[in-house]
Amino acid sequence: MLDTSKTSPGRVAMAACLTLAAALQPIAPAFAGPNDQAKRLFDRLTGTPPSATVLQQMSADISSSNATAAAQIAMQDPAFFNVTVRNFAAPMTNVAQSVFVPLNDYTATIIGMVRDNVPFNTVLSADLVYTGNMSGVPAYSPSNNNHYQYLDTNNADLSKVLQPQMQSSLTGIPSAATAGVMTTTAGASAFFSLGTNRRMLRFTMMNFMCNDLNTIMDITRPPDRIRQDPSRSPGGDSRTFLNTCIGCHSGMDALAGAFAYYDFDTNSNQLVYTPGQVQAKYGINTANFPYGHVTTDDSWINYWRQGSNAVLGWSSSQPGSGNGAKTFGQEIENSSQFASCQVQKVFQAMCLRAPSNAADRSKVSQITADFVSSGYNMKTAFAESAVYCMGQ
Amino acid sequence: MNLLKRCLTDLRLLALGCTVLLASCSGGAPTTSNVDIQSSAQAAVYTGPSPESADVQAFEANLWVNISPASRCGGCHKANGQSPMFARSDDINQAYSAALTVVDLSQPDNSVMVQKVASGHNCWLSSPQACADIITTWISNWASGNTGTAGGTQIALSAPPDITVGSSKVYPSDPTLFGSTVYPLVRLYCAKCHSDTAGSPQSPFFASANEQQAYLAAQPLISLNQPTSSVLYNRLAQDSHNCWGSPVDCQASAAAMLSAIQALANGIQVTPVDPTLIVSEALSLTQGTIASGANRYDVHDIAKWEFKEGTGSTAYDTSGVDPGMDMTLSGDAAWVGGWGISFTTNGRAQASTATSTKLYNRLTASGQYSLEMWINPANVTQTKANIIGYSGGDSVRNFSMSQNAFQYSMSARTSSSDLNGAPALVTNANNQLAQAALQHVVMTYDPTNGRKLYVNGTFTGDVDKSTGGTLSNWDNSYAFLVGNETSGDKPWQGTLRFAAVHDKALSQQQIQENFAAGVGASYYMLFNVSQLINVPQSYIMFTASQYDSYSYLLARPTFINLNPSWKPDSPIQIAGIRIGENGVELPVDQAWIPLNVTVDSSDYSPTNGQLLSPLGAVFPVQNGPGSDQLFVTFAQIGTLAHTYTTTNPPAPTPTDLPAVSDIGVRIFDEVNASMAKATTVSAGNSSVATTYTQVQTGLPTVFDIQSIGSGALIAGAQLAMQYCQALVNDPTLGPTFFPGMDFTAAPGTAFVTHGAEDLIVQPIYNNLVGQNLTTQPANSAVSTELYSLIDTLTASPSSAAPAARTQQISMAACTAVLTSATTFIK
Repeated sequence: MLDTSKTSPGRVAMAACLTLAAALQPIAPAFAGPNDQAKRLFDRLTGTPPSATVLQQMSADISSSNATAAAQIAMQDPAFFNVTVRNFAAPMTNVAQSVFVPLNDYTATIIGMVRDNVPFNTVLSADLVYTGNMSGVPAYSPSNNNHYQYLDTNNADLSKVLQPQMQSSLTGIPSAATAGVMTTTAGASAFFSLGTNRRMLRFTMMNFMCNDLNTIMDITRPPDRIRQDPSRSPGGDSRTFLNTCIGCHSGMDALAGAFAYYDFDTNSNQLVYTPGQVQAKYGINTANFPYGHVTTDDSWINYWRQGSNAVLGWSSSQPGSGNGAKTFGQEIENSSQFASCQVQKVFQAMCLRAPSNAADRSKVSQITADFVSSGYNMKTAFAESAVYCMGQ
Repeated sequence: MNLLKRCLTDLRLLALGCTVLLASCSGGAPTTSNVDIQSSAQAAVYTGPSPESADVQAFEANLWVNISPASRCGGCHKANGQSPMFARSDDINQAYSAALTVVDLSQPDNSVMVQKVASGHNCWLSSPQACADIITTWISNWASGNTGTAGGTQIALSAPPDITVGSSKVYPSDPTLFGSTVYPLVRLYCAKCHSDTAGSPQSPFFASANEQQAYLAAQPLISLNQPTSSVLYNRLAQDSHNCWGSPVDCQASAAAMLSAIQALANGIQVTPVDPTLIVSEALSLTQGTIASGANRYDVHDIAKWEFKEGTGSTAYDTSGVDPGMDMTLSGDAAWVGGWGISFTTNGRAQASTATSTKLYNRLTASGQYSLEMWINPANVTQTKANIIGYSGGDSVRNFSMSQNAFQYSMSARTSSSDLNGAPALVTNANNQLAQAALQHVVMTYDPTNGRKLYVNGTFTGDVDKSTGGTLSNWDNSYAFLVGNETSGDKPWQGTLRFAAVHDKALSQQQIQENFAAGVGASYYMLFNVSQLINVPQSYIMFTASQYDSYSYLLARPTFINLNPSWKPDSPIQIAGIRIGENGVELPVDQAWIPLNVTVDSSDYSPTNGQLLSPLGAVFPVQNGPGSDQLFVTFAQIGTLAHTYTTTNPPAPTPTDLPAVSDIGVRIFDEVNASMAKATTVSAGNSSVATTYTQVQTGLPTVFDIQSIGSGALIAGAQLAMQYCQALVNDPTLGPTFFPGMDFTAAPGTAFVTHGAEDLIVQPIYNNLVGQNLTTQPANSAVSTELYSLIDTLTASPSSAAPAARTQQISMAACTAVLTSATTFIK
């Protein structure tokens, strides 16, 4: 134990380190050399400092105008997956958007997809989940997180232990009903439990389209898919509905029909899928407005393809309507905003700021194009963003 | 139930009630006594022949007994009096025959007798509408006969007037024009009452000191398209309502008001309809066929408030059962459009204690009752908010119902409860039954089942454990009120659109019947499309109502032809229905844009037409239900088609963000991983892992360098200490990291020179700071700081053993650098 007397090294060290925090403030020169660029590149990509050997290799690549190669070296470090990509994914898996959550199947799947260069525009539709191959690890269960908790507790190197599996083979959900991370246990637990399943729509828009409902709302869209539970006269004032509520519900309810057969059973702690049978949560408070939409199947339609949300760049290769979560996921992940959103998030993680000026926005556009042309390879986004912000 | 007997029983109970009231005047709870403005009328004494049929008997028991008093119709329409002599008391059969000429039993509110009274013909109350509603109730009861069932009504659709969609005037959002025309006049002459800051505020507040508020309140009272139809004008011209001048001159007052309204109207440009649209004929809401009020189960109503008045301070009891429990509005209680009253912060509507004894008399006699309401709570956060009650204060009551966030709570005094009606029956919190939406709420009580609550026609499932009680301990000195407690400290916020008290515990079927009947004025609006498809008498029909003060509800568009022998010979395609108002298609809530239906003989019924959509939507009130001209447009109807194009707005122009630091801090797990990597100590080391678990939420969670505080540094220092301790103490890692360092030597030996100290200092610099990096502090700067630290600690007294002290000092040097910005910043 450390000596706790007044002159103990522990206390003195504490005081000293606070002093040193100022005294040893790193210098941020306007023009850094290859070593400093390599250091920052590694820092940003892995969250950790490089070893002297790696620094030298990366510095050499940078000196020979091949910073991308240097970034590739950094992304081989386990910390890129164990720290950086995990932190990229973890907030998406819970309503509080907290990073302090245990490893789960949602996070692991995103880490695995990045590691294996799986096209990221399948993250909302693939029949895919990543599990861990580690001695002593409990088998994957769709009703608890023990498998991933074990990996977490035992500091499993996620750059090595993760293995792709067919989600349908582990959960029993039909392959056609799997929808990437949306139908993982963590995703379902966070966004399908209780409520009306609108939460899944909202957080999908937040996590993968970088827009919350307050920026998406458009009161001009047809309201015919708004269910019966939203009051058209909240508190006796229909102006609230016409000016506010309708702006989100018209587009949201039309899309959230895709989740009509899904629920998360909080008793069995498991995703429930009832093909052909609309979940009861779609029929609550029906008397609030009996003339509202009655959900009879899992069809969805994207009314946001027109109006102010047309700028989200919906893909013409997608039909704009369909049935079920998988096709809904494809609608989202093939929009230009989806690609742009992933790059924006990566840019912010690498540059420690949102795209702030014309140069940044231009760069994000270029990286987005490269991200798409690389087959939605997330490493492209990480590498190019980190290089852009490695300093001059 | 034999209604004649019921009426006679009513009179006996009334007499008993008065006696009990007098007996109880000397004491009791602190209720507020209102003036009883409606006395019971005494029925004429009937001396003629017996009724010739059951229907005549029903007429006598339900209508004649109520209208025969001289204070009502019996003063004139009596034997040898004014024709028709339906109130004569010499021959009930002749009275019956006369009544048949002025009543419409299939649609009671359409009766000549009702319309005559509604137009102001000798109403015995101050509200002709209230008299009309009461007579409607009596006729409905007659129509229901002795069957005890609700009266079913066959709605007869009639063709509305043909009004071409054309020029209309719409209020501008800017109140400036109002402020220079009508506002000065109402502010000068009406603000003593019709202002929210008046001594006795009287809604609507069209003379408010707040011009915008006054503007909004005045709009429903002004007809831009027909100024002489304006309420503001007619109240002066026709009702002589608070005219001004010296001497008072109503004609001049009305002329001044009309002139101001015309100036306002003249300043607003007409809005023409887009000539390229495919439009129906136009219609206002009140030009529709009235559809509501016929299918309620009203047999056991003993008090009923429909809140149709819309003005004044009295909400009339239109049950037709004497005495009328007319309620006086006070506080911020205000009328709302589409029938109802609202309570914003603290208001109430209360009946007098005298008339409230009707409840005591009726309900203690029956031993059971039902409270029925249509309410729209303003929110689901208010607690202990009293919606309805018959009470004597905060701690004594005969019954009450309140809202507690998402729950409803019912208190009912019985011989099984205390005097406050406790224990209350509270709905299950998890069911969140109370919603900030229009709800039909009914509480029933009978000794067998106790209290039962129904929301929107469905039993809530909450079981009353207090059953078997009688109402023998009720107090007849209490007052009935809505929106608050008599003590005034439990205000409810929301809108009450209907209330009724029944002297029976209604069955679920009866409750569902009343729920299905709806609330408020409901119409069938028939929009003429005959010319669009070249088929006479063709209409798009909507079920419509004024939904609240701010909108109309249109629902269930149906294609119908009023010629009962017509059937579609060839299919008629109807697509893309939109609603227009006052010459303009509305931009919001167009629920039928995606609609695409074909009217054909297989789905069309001459009786019901063909339903095009079960959906409904709400559209804003602009000038009022009598003025707003609604119409329908089509993307396609028959062979006519109009192509709509949507112009998507451009992407917003991005704005530059403020410049931020180019560098940031490592976040929690980056700190942990960095320390592990720099010290070569595994993050899985038990001491390290334990400390990390304890401090991780204290470490930075965002990259922003300005967000880091002393707490994060302290947390980082604690973690760094563990890493450095594990490093120095580890027999393998320590020597490897600090080659040549003798940790068994005393500090005076181990740190005798800077050169000796370099065995600690240089590995720390090389591994924790890094070499050849211009963005990190120079070796000399770090070394100087560490020499100083080590020298200070070496010179300090310590109780530790010499070797342990050397390790401690080494750990201190390690910790100082590992916690510094060289580690935290990236």
